[in-house]
Amino acid sequence: MAKRPQSQVKKEMQKMPYEPLLKIEKSLILWSLGIGAVLMVILIWVSYAFFPGS
Amino acid sequence: MEQRRGIGEDWLAFWLGLLVFLIALGPLAGIDLLGWAVRTKVWTDIGQALSPVAGSYSLGGFSALLLTYVFLVALLTAGAWLLKAKIRRFVAAFTVVFWVSYICWILGSYANIAVNTPADMQKFGVTWSLRLTGEAGYIIALIAGLVVGNLFPRFATWLAEGTRTELYIKIAIVLLGAKVGVIAAEKLSLATVVMFRGLAAIIEAYLIYWAIVYFIARKYFKFSREWAAPLASGISICGVSAAMATGAAIRARPVVPIMVSSLVVIFAVVELLILPFLAQAFLSHEPMVAGAWMGLAVKTDGAAVAAGAITESLILSSAAAEGVKYQTGWILGTTTTIKVFIDIFIGIWAFILAYIWATHIDAKKGTKVRATEIWERFPKFVIGYIVTFVLLLAIGIGASPTLMKTLNAATAESDNFRQIFFVMTFFSIGAISNFRKLWEEGIGRLAAVYVVSLFGFVIWIGLVISWIFFAGVKPPLAAG
Repeated sequence: MAKRPQSQVKKEMQKMPYEPLLKIEKSLILWSLGIGAVLMVILIWVSYAFFPGS
Repeated sequence: MEQRRGIGEDWLAFWLGLLVFLIALGPLAGIDLLGWAVRTKVWTDIGQALSPVAGSYSLGGFSALLLTYVFLVALLTAGAWLLKAKIRRFVAAFTVVFWVSYICWILGSYANIAVNTPADMQKFGVTWSLRLTGEAGYIIALIAGLVVGNLFPRFATWLAEGTRTELYIKIAIVLLGAKVGVIAAEKLSLATVVMFRGLAAIIEAYLIYWAIVYFIARKYFKFSREWAAPLASGISICGVSAAMATGAAIRARPVVPIMVSSLVVIFAVVELLILPFLAQAFLSHEPMVAGAWMGLAVKTDGAAVAAGAITESLILSSAAAEGVKYQTGWILGTTTTIKVFIDIFIGIWAFILAYIWATHIDAKKGTKVRATEIWERFPKFVIGYIVTFVLLLAIGIGASPTLMKTLNAATAESDNFRQIFFVMTFFSIGAISNFRKLWEEGIGRLAAVYVVSLFGFVIWIGLVISWIFFAGVKPPLAAG
């Protein structure tokens, strides 16, 4: 593993710019959670209907 | 760490795993080529601890161990040459890794540590036992590695050429495919359930975990997009590989995923030391939930599959103490199945992020995303797991009892090497985990988002998803 100067993390944190959430990022988050919620219902139904555990 | 020089660890794991697997298939052709390899049994007399894995070889235990070392050092040195690693340093470091790891493995099989049933306690003449099974050797190896990594950092640096966690675990996963293939052939309907539900669980984990961690990192910890995306992937998906793939997908500077990865490794060790014991305490009656939970909650391939192995040994031990003897391999197989699916999806997820970044966020750079990037980021060792799994599943389905016995003998030999690669993985994980990193100036903000996300919800959402898809699914009972 490459050695880094001790302060590099601090430097990186300090120079990190503030970037407000873009509309596309909000869409990505909401679509991801939305698809997750819808698929959860479908996958649970398919699992228990077609791939019963016992 | 994945090395981009030479053949690459993914392809190397594929070829080496496949080679050991093919040699282990000798019994199918009537020849036993790996029966001389060393096996460790539960012991009270050290002279009885080691023996060749096949009874047909009349070797002493130490000779078998020596032969195993010679075989592995030759095999892996050829691999190191293909990786363009420093050969002499590798041989020296690997020698230390192998012997320390194997000594830990032997210690873990000491009767007072390993035996887990009253019958075995009587057999070995012991009045108490930690009931950890022989796989306690993994925990001892991890602790030995942590001692080296944190108390002897110079020695750990010297060992770095041989502490190749990712290589060892990936070879082990290729070999594990054979064992899982055989047990799946014996219980095909249950294997199908595990695979479908495992797939469902990881789809949910990807969609829920990543979005929440990314949102928290951006909204509350004010991380830039360059940091938040690899961080979200590292914490939520699969540690180092995902952080690296995401970093490349969004064109982050290399320093970003590297810093994220160093934290991932440290927290994976913390999870590895805690979660299997929590699973034993609270999930011993839901073994498959526990296995799935390790796959979803513990980051990095090595730590996750290692956690699955410890969880399996602890839960089988608890069950055995209650008189229930589950077949081995199903809990670990569930963890591995989930981890393999996660690895497969890394490429697809990285492609989706690359597309969004290239077309909406960094559109001005004019970068285009090629579909071939999914293949470029595909973890190639997974192909080895699929090959060994499918091949033995295909041979095993409908096989006669005699053929099944031969298959079990062959996979016992490849699985013996899988265990050796596992124990070296545990030692290596410990040796590369430097907890002093947590005291590094400026790390607090990174560590804070990691702790909040991992212990705040990643672990618990993983548990809920595992429970939803695996509650009530039980491993088959062992014969006899």
